[in-house]
Amino acid sequence: MTERLASFFKDLNKNKALLLMALPATVWFICFSYLPMAGLVIAFKEYRYTREGFLASIIKSKWVGFGNFKFLFSTSDAYIITRNTLLYNAAFIVFGLILSVALAIVLSELTSRRLAKWFQTGMFMPHFLSWVIVSYFVFSFLSFDKGVINRVLEWFGREPIQWYYDKTYWPVILVIVYLWKTVGYNSVIYLAGILGIDRSLYEAAMIDGATKWQQIRNITIPSLKPLMIIMTLLAVGKIFYADFGLFYQVPRDSGTLYAVTNVIDTYVYRGLKVTGEIGMSAAAGLYQSVVGFVLVLLSNWIVRKIDQDSALF
Amino acid sequence: MKQRQRFALLMSVLLVVALVLGACGSSKKDDTSSPTSNAGDAQTGKEKPVELIWYTIGTPQKDLEMVNEEINKYTLEKINATVKINMIDWGDYTQKMGIITASGQPVDIMFTASWAFDYVQNARKGAFMPLNDLLQTHGQGILKALDPAFLEGSKVDGVNYGIPANKELPALEVWRFNKQLLDKYNLSIDNVYTLESLEPLLKVIKENEPNVTPLAIAKDFQPLLGYDFLIDKMPMAVKLDTTDYKVVNVLETPEMKQTLRTMHKYYKAGYIATEAATMDTMQDALLAGTWFADRAASQPFADNLWSASYGYPVVSTPAYEPIIYNWSVMGSLQAISANSKHPEKAMEFLNLLNTDPYLRNLVDSGIEGVHYEKIGENRMRNLPESKNYDMPTFSLGNIFLTYLNEDDPENKWEEFKSFNAAGKPSPILGFNFDPTNVATELAALQNVKEEFWSVLMTGTVDPDVYIPKAIEKFKAAGLDKIIEEAQKQLDAWVAENK
Repeated sequence: MTERLASFFKDLNKNKALLLMALPATVWFICFSYLPMAGLVIAFKEYRYTREGFLASIIKSKWVGFGNFKFLFSTSDAYIITRNTLLYNAAFIVFGLILSVALAIVLSELTSRRLAKWFQTGMFMPHFLSWVIVSYFVFSFLSFDKGVINRVLEWFGREPIQWYYDKTYWPVILVIVYLWKTVGYNSVIYLAGILGIDRSLYEAAMIDGATKWQQIRNITIPSLKPLMIIMTLLAVGKIFYADFGLFYQVPRDSGTLYAVTNVIDTYVYRGLKVTGEIGMSAAAGLYQSVVGFVLVLLSNWIVRKIDQDSALF
Repeated sequence: MKQRQRFALLMSVLLVVALVLGACGSSKKDDTSSPTSNAGDAQTGKEKPVELIWYTIGTPQKDLEMVNEEINKYTLEKINATVKINMIDWGDYTQKMGIITASGQPVDIMFTASWAFDYVQNARKGAFMPLNDLLQTHGQGILKALDPAFLEGSKVDGVNYGIPANKELPALEVWRFNKQLLDKYNLSIDNVYTLESLEPLLKVIKENEPNVTPLAIAKDFQPLLGYDFLIDKMPMAVKLDTTDYKVVNVLETPEMKQTLRTMHKYYKAGYIATEAATMDTMQDALLAGTWFADRAASQPFADNLWSASYGYPVVSTPAYEPIIYNWSVMGSLQAISANSKHPEKAMEFLNLLNTDPYLRNLVDSGIEGVHYEKIGENRMRNLPESKNYDMPTFSLGNIFLTYLNEDDPENKWEEFKSFNAAGKPSPILGFNFDPTNVATELAALQNVKEEFWSVLMTGTVDPDVYIPKAIEKFKAAGLDKIIEEAQKQLDAWVAENK
């Protein structure tokens, strides 16, 4: 036993620099991710306040079993919000991946470094804007009487469209707006990956007479594959979380669009903003996490079946 | 080797967990020890003053600390207590107070209302202390100063959980008009009362002023139908002249259908902004003066206030009788937190705030000579420094104690009193629907409401097509069950109170 302990401290000593570096993140995760997990018990309670403080309130609140989960599944909206959340996120993952990688490749092929930096910064900018601001950008395009698009339509002699009351176009609008905001940021990650590829591979390919296209297909993309898989797996884990700002702010909370804009997060917000039942919102969060967790395990398992080295764990 | 490294990692993680838990544990010990020591102080020596923690609504003011010190000097002398005033901005108040309350942070006094940090709901969840006994022992001044209708109307299940501000009691809805346009086209508002009676005026404006929105309404607009809603903007309602106290689905009533047809007619005629159903406010049009008519909640001398804040004359005429609703009675309250350690002192402070003109004006307008100057017995004028201390008067207690402004008429508070006396109580004044048993249905219903309410109420969609659709979806979400539950509660309330 003492022997083991001694070797433990030896290890500790040997790796102290690395352990120290990992310490802040570890503490952060324990404090803000692991410890609060105990609070999940609220999802099964009807939370009421008591005089003795938060913990006493949790303990004394009434157990309601799965009652808090019912509102998520009780109406026909359950199908709509699940479908919307999954389909939109799937579209974001697929199109986001293709566009980000394509952009990163184009940027890396630009010979003028200065120009590349310009484009990169320009595409990066939307990432820092809040959805509220983006929603006003979109409104300036889609407003019925002052919007740019309706002016253009009139120019061509077409009828102006009431964008915010016509749900036909919104699946496309939402995907475009989302990609506009996020693709720049993700492409920088892939760009870093491309810059890390050994240049001698390209030189060898060029000597063999490979075209640009062949180089991209046979060197760049295969080299990026592990990165793409990790990014996609991480995104799949969040597939049950919708970007609240995108689905609430950008369509300006217009009721007629709900069939194509209502997602789990907006449904929970609208349903609970008046009653403020903490138990029910905790239940919704737990449900989303559990499904996300299962999906990550599942997709990782699939990746491992196909290509063991690319799997996350 | 690899195995051992893994073990080392595991051990260090466990170490960190132990450290963190240890730290959390010890901080909790501090928490529990402080109240007992405080209580000890209070028992051993009465000299030790109490500090009351007060959260109230409004944009935090620059000079708050300075005024707070001045307040403490006075309250220390009067009731041997000081207050620590915390202001939370309008938009954040509900959410932040919810977290503060749920996590059990120390609070003694807090603002609550029907529209911010919901009074009835939080009273039911146990956030506030019952005040009936405290009012008798430490709040006699409040009992004398307040219009009894306020305390009666703000009871939840027979218990008072907050001290309402003595102010306007009924809700009076009026049509407001941009007087410049009335004069320009020589229009009279003498015959305006119903929604339909507006039409000839709107028509003139639409034909002659292409850049003006004739009826400036936004997504929160709701026509006046003569019903009292059990929950704001939800279809469960009771008719104001009811005799049988029946809860109905307001979308199924003929009044609703008729009114929404009119709204849709106005919308199609271009009297209403095309995107009204998604506009949060029409503030831009109001500030620019590019509107003709809208509807607003009034109080005595409101026309003067509006004219002053928009910079051009605004006139108004009633759109309905003044009615006393639950939500108008509960427009502004100060409650004592359930976890307050000094409820008696808190009540003494609230008593002083609602009866002592010096303290009330100090809290409201700041320090005399710095933020305002007195120009008469009950009259004051703001000094330039008042921009650093501009508090929402109605939120802080008895407004009848506040000094009149320079241009206020001498009889301002008398007018308020007669205004209050003229209000008609809603038949269900004092009945508060408890949604606990139907929380699941209510969450689903809320989503249906958001989907249909604004587009219907602003006339954006054809009611003959959309009302049936909405009713069907409301029913699927469980509206009938909620109405049944509401009817049961209302019947029990009627049996007890009528």
